[in-house]
Amino acid sequence: MTNKSSRRDFVKRSAAVIAGAIVLPQIIPSSALGMGGKKPPSDRIVFGLIGTGSQGMSDCRDFLRLNNEVQFVALCDVDANRLKKAKEEIDISNKNKDCRTYGDYRELLEKEKLDAMLIALPDHWHGIIYSAVANKKIDVYGEKPICRTIEDGQTIVSAVKKNNIIWQTGSWQRSEANFHRGAELAINGRVGKLKYIEVGLPDGNRGIGTPPVQEVPPELNWEMWLGPALKVPYRGVSHWNWRWILDYSGGQLTDWAGHHIDIANWGAGLENTGPVEIKGTGVYPVDGIYNVPVEYDFRCKYSNELEMRVANASRLPLGMGTTWHGDLGWVHVDRGNIISASDPKILNEVIGEKEIHLYKSDNHYQNFVDCVRSRKETIAPVHVAYRAISVALLGEIAMTTGQTIKWDPYKESIIGNQRASRMLSRPYRQPWTLPTV
Amino acid sequence: MAGLLTFFTACKNDSSYKTLIITGQNNHLWKASSPILKQILDETGIFSCEIMLTPEKGGDMNTFNPDFSKYKLVVLDYNGDSWSDKTKSGFLQFVKDGGGVVVYHAADNSFPEWKEYNEIIGLGGWGNRNQKDGPYVYYKHNELIKDTTAGNGGSHGKRREYLVKTRMDHPITKGLPDRWLHGTDELYSQLRGPAKNMQILATAFADSALGGGTMRDEPMLMVLSYGKGRIFHTTMGHADEGGGPAMQCAGFITTLQRGAEWAVTGNVTQKVPFDFPTVAGVSLRSDFKQMTIEEVMAQIGSYDITKSTKYFTYLESEIRKQAGDETGLLNLEKMMVTVLKNKETTVEAKRLLLKELSWMGSEYSVPVIKDLLTNNDLKDEAAFAYARLHSKK
Repeated sequence: MTNKSSRRDFVKRSAAVIAGAIVLPQIIPSSALGMGGKKPPSDRIVFGLIGTGSQGMSDCRDFLRLNNEVQFVALCDVDANRLKKAKEEIDISNKNKDCRTYGDYRELLEKEKLDAMLIALPDHWHGIIYSAVANKKIDVYGEKPICRTIEDGQTIVSAVKKNNIIWQTGSWQRSEANFHRGAELAINGRVGKLKYIEVGLPDGNRGIGTPPVQEVPPELNWEMWLGPALKVPYRGVSHWNWRWILDYSGGQLTDWAGHHIDIANWGAGLENTGPVEIKGTGVYPVDGIYNVPVEYDFRCKYSNELEMRVANASRLPLGMGTTWHGDLGWVHVDRGNIISASDPKILNEVIGEKEIHLYKSDNHYQNFVDCVRSRKETIAPVHVAYRAISVALLGEIAMTTGQTIKWDPYKESIIGNQRASRMLSRPYRQPWTLPTV
Repeated sequence: MAGLLTFFTACKNDSSYKTLIITGQNNHLWKASSPILKQILDETGIFSCEIMLTPEKGGDMNTFNPDFSKYKLVVLDYNGDSWSDKTKSGFLQFVKDGGGVVVYHAADNSFPEWKEYNEIIGLGGWGNRNQKDGPYVYYKHNELIKDTTAGNGGSHGKRREYLVKTRMDHPITKGLPDRWLHGTDELYSQLRGPAKNMQILATAFADSALGGGTMRDEPMLMVLSYGKGRIFHTTMGHADEGGGPAMQCAGFITTLQRGAEWAVTGNVTQKVPFDFPTVAGVSLRSDFKQMTIEEVMAQIGSYDITKSTKYFTYLESEIRKQAGDETGLLNLEKMMVTVLKNKETTVEAKRLLLKELSWMGSEYSVPVIKDLLTNNDLKDEAAFAYARLHSKK
């Protein structure tokens, strides 16, 4: 990605915030006036946050742990209790009470002048909100998976490119040394020519049956929580557990695609392409409202004779993580700084000066902040995230139809299967539509 | 010539395989299990079963003298007194000549002293079986072990649901999930025997944390050969009064039906049913019968989401099974549309059907979906389905 957007734009937007600060002088805390070795507010990146749940707040705290790089000034959530709690936390950090809160992201986008937005929402909202924020030319740190359907993903990628914003996906494993090292060994042929990649993701959830319809808690805007998804009565399942319902997520498979599939793509040079054939089987809960697969196992063929198998961990010999198998051996990486190989000597290999050196970042949040300033591409840009989740979404379609899916990774379309093609998008419930890019 | 004629007539008049179920003595509830075994096998249309009772324990075994040559398959639900020498040799001749055998649950407890019988069942338990009878056979860390350690054969922990793992490709296991949850049953363990000409098709892990166990993957389904005969051995299906969950399990029923067909023909023509269990949960048939898809659709029509979504899960499973078969899919679509049109069908059921039709439907569904675009309860789902059926991708 080239960066036509410049440092000047960033400074301009910063200036706009300062201009706003003149109208609202309390926004500048005394601690931020360049005292105590801290960066003055004009140097801090002004952030908004949409989605103040556990992931949103965890990311937010990671940004605040950086050396005074960022400042959160606006928060948005459909749960008033969460919003209130988040504001209390941000107010303490800001040492003032000025952080604004919104129940509707559209109002936030209209009123706020921001450099960057942290977004951590259920997947069914990603298509609309990621694109809308990009259209406002606000840089985005967005949680994975970046989309619920291929069409959502295509729209988001276009919006990010067209608006020239800086995008970082929450695929933080890229900023961990072991994943970087494993991918670099694989891409430089240290296990030989890559033949087969195995990706193990968590086993699925077993379900809760069907809880009775309940009154929506007063703090929750259920209609807004559902947004573009089909309307259903409230059964006490919203925060966190949306992960187990296909209307909002594809389960562990799509949740973790942005980690171990993303890493697999990184080490195999598949970041700008996709499989040509996908087939596999899923195991679905027998009963209850949770309907994401509890087991999944599918194989993707690539045009270069490479195969990738994606399955829940208990189906695979090495369990969780990514394993690149070449004709000379294998390398495996997983969380917990795990890296192992068929021959320990592989792990001591030095990557030569003229070989491929993958993008290096030691801190995923700092990397985003640095790129917002430099206007350079982040370690986890949007098109790469789209290619990672595409693998999972195509696997989902293959498992749902029971068929072998043929995919054209250049045209990004399914070949010769109308039923499967319909699942590349989802009509939105009125009045919601995907933003035009 | 006359013999040939008889052969052809027999084939023409009755294409199902004559099957003999032997019971009458068992430390298990044979009065409950044997009619269920008959029902399960008869239901396939492939077998026609007769149940033959031996004399009661201590009775005159000379009176038990079946003509095995009349049958293609013998199902053993028997654990009791020794048969007469004549009956024993008749049975052995039947197997050697290519007769099929199904060894069911405690039948592998029977006849510890009868050498040939133990070669037919491969592995057995109890009845003072020990190292003299052959090794323990099991899997440990995915490796097949034949363990000659001294010790008694046969044990089981507390009854529970357990996960069955398919070990190899075979006509009986073709198309079955590689792991599935079995209804509450005894998990037979520490079986030992000659284990000749035997392949283990499926195992279950006897986890000591779940009510006593060997911490080994114990054989659950086995196939063997003896002479020209094929033997299917299932250790599963412990009967309660009325059968109980071990026999109601669609996994037990299906593997029994498939194993029986293979024992007779060496092949399996039966389709894997849509209610076959998975790791996600057991699948019990209260009356041992497979539901037809029509019965499933009727259940969906009166669908109450708070009670169960399982019939809808069955429908989705059946749709996947019909993948690529346009006629089969259209048949399902027609049934779905009929339920959708029915005034008695619940709103919840209609919502689910519209979502399903949104991807698997054809022009056939469009008129009824169009009608629902103005229905207050269903307009969102109808719009969803309508838009998707007309998406240009």
